[in-house]
Amino acid sequence: MNAETEDLPGALHALRCEFEGIREIKRTRRSEMPQAQITMDVRRVSAKVSVVDVKGELTAFAEGVLMDAYGQASEGGVRGIVMNFEGLEYMNSSGIGLLVTLLIRVNREKQKLLIYGLSDHYQSIFQITRLDDAIAIHDSEEDAVKAAST
Amino acid sequence: MAEQTPQPEERTERTGPRTEPRDAAHWARYTERIRVPGVPGSAPNVEGRRMVGPLQGFGKMWQKTYKTRLGGVSVAPVEVVETLKERFPEISGFGKGFRMPDGGLVPGAVALLGGLSGVVVLYADEESFTYMTPEGHPFSGWITFSSYADEDGATVAQAQLLIRANDPIYELMMPLGLHKIEDRTWQRTLGRVAAHFGADGRIETRITCVDPKRQWRQCKNVRHNALVLSALHAVSTPLRWIRRQATGPSKNARTRNPTKGGTP
Repeated sequence: MNAETEDLPGALHALRCEFEGIREIKRTRRSEMPQAQITMDVRRVSAKVSVVDVKGELTAFAEGVLMDAYGQASEGGVRGIVMNFEGLEYMNSSGIGLLVTLLIRVNREKQKLLIYGLSDHYQSIFQITRLDDAIAIHDSEEDAVKAAST
Repeated sequence: MAEQTPQPEERTERTGPRTEPRDAAHWARYTERIRVPGVPGSAPNVEGRRMVGPLQGFGKMWQKTYKTRLGGVSVAPVEVVETLKERFPEISGFGKGFRMPDGGLVPGAVALLGGLSGVVVLYADEESFTYMTPEGHPFSGWITFSSYADEDGATVAQAQLLIRANDPIYELMMPLGLHKIEDRTWQRTLGRVAAHFGADGRIETRITCVDPKRQWRQCKNVRHNALVLSALHAVSTPLRWIRRQATGPSKNARTRNPTKGGTP
């Protein structure tokens, strides 16, 4: 409270305090809202292929990070996007949905999307969601980059 | 997302860091074909079918998001999802047509829809759950129900679909009313969620065509079409009855259906 508000008549002063209280609650709630717990670093491994190193949690909150990484990885006429999932710690069904929309975007740009570094658990999720029908999964970065270059 | 269950410290010391991912318990286990527990033959359009996602369907791919802001009501997202899970038949309006699995909507559970088709619970945590459809269902894809707090701290209930029509017949039906039925179903569902918690229930709908291309190689999905197969089954019922009268009761049929006194 500053001096200006302290000069207000009683009822207005109470109203002002209530308003400040609500603003404080909203600020606290905003800071408690879930944020993207993920990083995606882009490496250009050849003229035509980029690798995206995924670390953290792939959920609905990762959409902005994923699309930014894709934009960065696609710069300069890249034809193959390789995603490294060795650092994937958590994924929910919204995260899988993001991969589907990314795949559609990649196909529209006539690029290839390849993946490596999936643990057994995440490989089985790719199987059950049948993403493995459409996205090539490789054992190593070398294999994936080689496949992306052809 | 669900909190990680705390692990005893002594276990961490003995076995080293846990390798099981935090989301492991939230996902259905992989199976090649869907198995429906209960009476054999009760779900011919689901039993033995494969699950299909938005990449396996035929028609245009749609992302449909319906949400309602439960403003002025003090309810946590976890409570909203728990209520939806427990009272899904009533809240969704499917009523008795939606046969809840015995163990509830847990990962891997199969729920049947009016004897025509069904859904499998692909994913479930405290703040969301997702259905995946089987071959023959009108849509191939996922339906996710979730709840979260928006930037003003109000709880939002949301249904999000990522779907394609499964085959050319369903794709033809989309502009002829299937889109509308789908929209109304989930708008009403969220309206009931809002009413349940005493909120006003204004529904926000956002529909995006993610992929306008049809996947012609998936034309063959029509062989699983649940509507067509059920119609054929109904039409051929008199023929099967006549055949049964002519040949006497089938031993195989009695054996297969334990409710009619066949050998278990």
